[in-house]
Amino acid sequence: MKHFHIRSKLVGNIAVIYPKGHLDAHNVERFEKEILKQIGNDVVNIVIDCKELNYISSAGMGIIMGYLDEIRDKSGDIKLSSVNERVYEIFDLVGFTEIYDFLQNEKTAINKFENVS
Amino acid sequence: MFPEKPELTISIPSKTELLKMIVEMTKHIAIINQFPQAEAQKIALALDEAITNVIKHSYKGSMNENVKVDFYCHKKGLKIKISFTGVPPVLEKIAIDLNKMIKEKKKGGLGVELMKRIMDSVEYKTTGNTNTCEMIKWKTPES
Repeated sequence: MKHFHIRSKLVGNIAVIYPKGHLDAHNVERFEKEILKQIGNDVVNIVIDCKELNYISSAGMGIIMGYLDEIRDKSGDIKLSSVNERVYEIFDLVGFTEIYDFLQNEKTAINKFENVS
Repeated sequence: MFPEKPELTISIPSKTELLKMIVEMTKHIAIINQFPQAEAQKIALALDEAITNVIKHSYKGSMNENVKVDFYCHKKGLKIKISFTGVPPVLEKIAIDLNKMIKEKKKGGLGVELMKRIMDSVEYKTTGNTNTCEMIKWKTPES
């Protein structure tokens, strides 16, 4: 039984990635592959919509951290949306909430990119 | 303060596919031990991080090793001790600098920091061939 699923869609030049379930060291490769796919396609405006993400360990956070510099160098960004309270607490514990934009929902995150470009 | 004998001991193979099972079990143990649900989930995450580090760094990804986990329950808190062999852990003494890690494109290095921020104490020891990681979480008055 798979505990983690990932899908994505493109909204103009913005990729919205939907991680779902339990993201840990066991399934982090699939999450990384999705981020790499977007960068490889020159899509550097990325929204990670976490409405169905129940759990994240440092393995998943490491991927969000590891590609941020490259993405910002290409004038893009990673924004997080719809993060539930428990997952938000974990992001907050290591200081992600000071570095990344956390938006209420996917639409707000997409709008934030659109207002810049 | 904690009993000498663990309340529960499990030994698991060094496979990341078992992490979720450990997380669910630890959450359950913490809840039984009167920790609030949110705290219980964090304690389980701390153990996930500790075991992930063992598999990744001490066992270099080998799935043929074992990790022993002891749970010691007390009305004032929970102690979790993991025992493993392999390469002894080398820990950073200073707190992480997230901006620096981002600049250096680091994908790892957050796990131990999370453990330290979640638990009240995290202590690694190596005696002979055996490494241990002992973590304690005390209950807050609201627990």
